[in-house]
Amino acid sequence: MQTTVHFYSYFKDLTGCAQTRETLAAGSTIGDLLKVLADRFPKLGALQHSMLVAVGVDYQGRGYVLKEGDEVSLFPPVQGG
Amino acid sequence: MKRQLTITLEPIDEAALASKRKMSDGMGAVVYFAGVVRATEENRVIHAIEYEAFQPMAEHQFNLLFSEMEKRWPIESVRLVHRIGMVKVNEPSLWVEVVAPHRGEAFAACQWLIDEMKRVVPIWKKPCA
Repeated sequence: MQTTVHFYSYFKDLTGCAQTRETLAAGSTIGDLLKVLADRFPKLGALQHSMLVAVGVDYQGRGYVLKEGDEVSLFPPVQGG
Repeated sequence: MKRQLTITLEPIDEAALASKRKMSDGMGAVVYFAGVVRATEENRVIHAIEYEAFQPMAEHQFNLLFSEMEKRWPIESVRLVHRIGMVKVNEPSLWVEVVAPHRGEAFAACQWLIDEMKRVVPIWKKPCA
């Protein structure tokens, strides 16, 4: 299963890219995706606890089961205003 | 509840926004707030803040907040403008207006909206020294 992951704010600097694609086993969760990304981007892995995760335009928890075609976004705490 | 959301690269024109205000006869309170870029950020002197938004999600999350506001208070209208891109010191990055029958609900709703925005709406700032 292919999943596209987008990075925002300084996560783009930490990973060196605005987006990436990961191949995951069917039934993988956001938590599983974060483990894969932590191995690939150790600086990102260190921020997993404060990281916010969205699928499409809605927030999702670590237990969310990913589906083919999901667009995942990872970003630090928001700071509008 | 009428709602108007604008996320824009353009400067916020407060006078133009005020001139377009519409409220019915039953409304007795207008609360508006402007968030302005300060010259210091975490004790560092800056000249601007660059705002970045994940715009489709920001619009969706703002609309969820507006829907929740509508459930909590008898608001007639809300208008919110958030600027993105480079915003210089002394310029507003945020403008919010709430129209309601009484000041209590107008102040409460405006405060709540800004607090929640800072918790869930995906907009980030990068101070520029």
